[in-house]
Amino acid sequence: MSTNLMPDDRRNLAMRLSALQYVVAVAFAALAVGFWVFQVAQHQKFREMAENNHLRKLPLPAPRGVLLDRNGKVLVENRNIFNIALVREQTKNVDATLKTLAAATGVDEAQLRETVSRRRREPTYRPIVLIENATPEQYIAVRARQWELPGIIGQEVPSRRYPGSALAAHLFGYVAEVTEAQLQKADYQGAEPGVIVGQAGIEQAYNRLLMGTEGNRIMIVNSVGREIRVLDEQSSAPTEGRTMQLTIDADIQGAIEDGFAASGFNGAAVVLDPRDGEVLGFTSRPAFDPNSFAGGIDRATWASLNVDELKPLQNRALQGTYSPGSTFKMAVGLAGLEEGIITPEFSVHCGGGANFYGRYFRCWKAGGHGTVKLKTAIEQSCDVYFYTVGNMLGVDRINKWATLFGLGVKSNIDLPNERVGLVPSTEWKKTQREKKWYAGETISVAIGQGQVSVTPVSMAVYAATLANGGSRVTPHLLKAVHDGKAWKPVEAPPPQSKVDVSPEKLQAVRQGMWGVVNGGGTGGRARIEGHDVCGKTGTAQVISNAGRLAAARSGKNLRDHGWFVFFAPRDNPTIAGVVFLEHGLHGPNAASVAHHILATYFAKQDGKPMPPPPTHEDLRLDYKDPYARGAAPAEGGGQ
Amino acid sequence: MFERRLFFHVDWLLLGAVLMLTGIGIAMIYSTTYVTPPSGGGHAGPQVWTQMYALTIGVVALLICLMIDYRVFAEHSLMLFGGLVLLLVFVLVKGSTQMGAQRWIPIGHFNLQPSEFGRVGIALLLAMFFGENRRGARNTSDLVIGGIFTLVPLLLIAKQPDLGTAITLVPVFLGVAYLAGLRLRLLGIVALACLPLGLFAYKFALKDYQRQRIETFLDPEKDPRGAGYQTIQARVTVGSGGLTGKGFRQGTQGQYKFLPVAHNDFIFSVLGEEQGFIGVLVALGLYLFVILRSLEAARLAKDRLGAYLVGGIISGFAFQVIYNVTMSAGLAPVKGITLPLMSYGGSSLIATLAGFGLILNVRMRRFTN
Repeated sequence: MSTNLMPDDRRNLAMRLSALQYVVAVAFAALAVGFWVFQVAQHQKFREMAENNHLRKLPLPAPRGVLLDRNGKVLVENRNIFNIALVREQTKNVDATLKTLAAATGVDEAQLRETVSRRRREPTYRPIVLIENATPEQYIAVRARQWELPGIIGQEVPSRRYPGSALAAHLFGYVAEVTEAQLQKADYQGAEPGVIVGQAGIEQAYNRLLMGTEGNRIMIVNSVGREIRVLDEQSSAPTEGRTMQLTIDADIQGAIEDGFAASGFNGAAVVLDPRDGEVLGFTSRPAFDPNSFAGGIDRATWASLNVDELKPLQNRALQGTYSPGSTFKMAVGLAGLEEGIITPEFSVHCGGGANFYGRYFRCWKAGGHGTVKLKTAIEQSCDVYFYTVGNMLGVDRINKWATLFGLGVKSNIDLPNERVGLVPSTEWKKTQREKKWYAGETISVAIGQGQVSVTPVSMAVYAATLANGGSRVTPHLLKAVHDGKAWKPVEAPPPQSKVDVSPEKLQAVRQGMWGVVNGGGTGGRARIEGHDVCGKTGTAQVISNAGRLAAARSGKNLRDHGWFVFFAPRDNPTIAGVVFLEHGLHGPNAASVAHHILATYFAKQDGKPMPPPPTHEDLRLDYKDPYARGAAPAEGGGQ
Repeated sequence: MFERRLFFHVDWLLLGAVLMLTGIGIAMIYSTTYVTPPSGGGHAGPQVWTQMYALTIGVVALLICLMIDYRVFAEHSLMLFGGLVLLLVFVLVKGSTQMGAQRWIPIGHFNLQPSEFGRVGIALLLAMFFGENRRGARNTSDLVIGGIFTLVPLLLIAKQPDLGTAITLVPVFLGVAYLAGLRLRLLGIVALACLPLGLFAYKFALKDYQRQRIETFLDPEKDPRGAGYQTIQARVTVGSGGLTGKGFRQGTQGQYKFLPVAHNDFIFSVLGEEQGFIGVLVALGLYLFVILRSLEAARLAKDRLGAYLVGGIISGFAFQVIYNVTMSAGLAPVKGITLPLMSYGGSSLIATLAGFGLILNVRMRRFTN
């Protein structure tokens, strides 16, 4: 029944079968080439894609380094907080999850959305922290509704704790999530989005050392993002940041803060060891609580810090520039001595004012000081004496010596964003103002008014340079770093400049400053029995007399600033510094605050009980506003 | 019925290659379906056992198809065809539905998928039809009749819907027609005629998901999380295997389910991942050997019926292999076309082994009368 093949048929069939065989062989060869391209030629690319598929690297945040004071007291430490985070790849509907989360925790849904949207470009397996420092109630609420909240996880992470709250807030700075702008910078290379970094103060300046090294948990996940297992051998534990010992003395720092608190004034204070520039205390007020940043600052707090007219976030010690007032007079006196213009015995008659270049400049003391030599001129803060010396020096020589003593230049303290003050010169006026300097302008400069402006930290360097005889020490905060095994002392940075002031000339100025405190001068309130405290008060006008009348109705605080620069003891000083009271009215008020600092310092040095925090009354502040009745006194520095 | 001397004419090489491919398939199914509970330990997935049972049944089917003279099957081909069509109709009426398609007839613990037997049934009927025709398949009317025979089960299967399996009937028809002397010019005309038909089908007859599959294949990056996902993951799976592969059960794409239905449609991708390019070459070599060797059997066949039967069966087989392997590398749109002998699936394995029984049968009986 079946049809056997005829020879013709067979040939035809054989031909067609051969053709079929060739076609199949060619197809297979093409397939082999295709696989070769993927598996051999492009293997690397696909291997990486496969790894991205199933390997997940989760950062384990490292605790930041602990900060100690010079005696080993803990200033800044860590504690664990709970964060609530979202892993997008574990949820199909991010919107629904956020809605439920907002309802469960009472957090604003729009804010959650914004956080997610800001970080939408990150890989979907990376947790996005939605609620930092969750309250126990929020944490429990989330745990209870776990099944309605796919992708929401709780994380226990180390966070910063500042036991002193606002104590030295500007010095420590604060921490927050790294910003996108920072990620672009070389300083933050290797930092992953979401990592906590220092945003101000020491936290920012030493972020590299403090940050530690993030650990990693490397794990295998399946296609729906579920964790299959952790690759222990490839994971790494986080390494805590370096423990750092600061030059700060917690007792001095406390004394500064207590003094300011009792005074009720804002301002700044910097206290140094004049021998090497170690910072013993550093404050700027008003302050903020860095703890409120540590767990993610809430919007309301952030907004209020930013709109506050008193600018609590500004570090006045580094960034505020103010007229130095009479505290500038030592620089003028020393310039005169060193330039050979005057001797300590050079005397000037003060009759309550003097004429220069056709204009009458008043002394702060109506009726005048009589005939005064250098020591008395500093002690009594005689304006006419320094008008005269300044006029003889000319602005450029004043500029030269003020700069050598640290004014008008950066201190180069190891804190970020320092601003620079100004001591004018003919060169400055020519380049910056494109105008000629008039000799008449020098008169105001000689008593620290006019264009002269300084930062409190540069004033502390000034005090230290006067104290140590010409070495412009670099203020610094880091004393030692623990490298995990042992303490490694940090060498003090070299002075910014050094000038040999002859001891007898220096002594003449120091005698004057001693007299300010101990000889019935304006700084008598800083006197400490048994210790030769030297100092100088300064009262700096905020606005010219003419301007004051015009602005009187604006309601702005235009009261004078009060300065007190000091060092002690007179011979071989071990402490130097400055207290600046913003709108503190009078230099002597600053001396009252400095008294508590010095009393604490010497009590500690002598092994005596340290004085209790002063009360407001203890400071005996002078609230008399010389301008209160609109009476315009002389264009001159006071006291 | 079975003469002892026929035993010596069994093509042991072909049979060996077929069983070797089946073995590789079971190994890969074992690898991709291995169950690792979180508590530790692990065991083979149930699919391995199902496939082993199917292999046993398949070997029996192969032996039956080998021992009974293929001419006997051919004589009853119309009846077998009728039975097949009845089963396909039954599936549409009372079949069990899984994953949105009605393809199975439950028999005890097993599910029978009649569509998998369509290729063998059609090959027998067409070989009979063209083989008994003295003219061969030289004119259009033969082609039309053969086409109608093919179209009946094809449409029934496509209705399930199971376009992938339905399409595999076309190469069977073309294979037989081609060997039966179909003029290539006619084939070209048919192909040209199919083009507008295809466009029409694309526009109106295809379901949304089918159209989407084709679109995403053309541009998988357009929707990498959605429909383009499988194409991209197939390439990643294959490409990440490299030259030597990640090792047995060491794959990540298949093991962690980044590539869906790895034990089924994408078993060859997993082979490429775990055994590398070398493993791919071995498997491709075996498949190529099986196909060329079968075509050799067609050449040796003593009658046209035998030659056409082998040609039809092996054309369908070759089409499935080439398409599935291309798809496994992400180079063809994802279609439900499984890899014969290796993919998980009992009915497919049984039907394929039965088909090879017939091929061995034709070669073995080349000297008998």
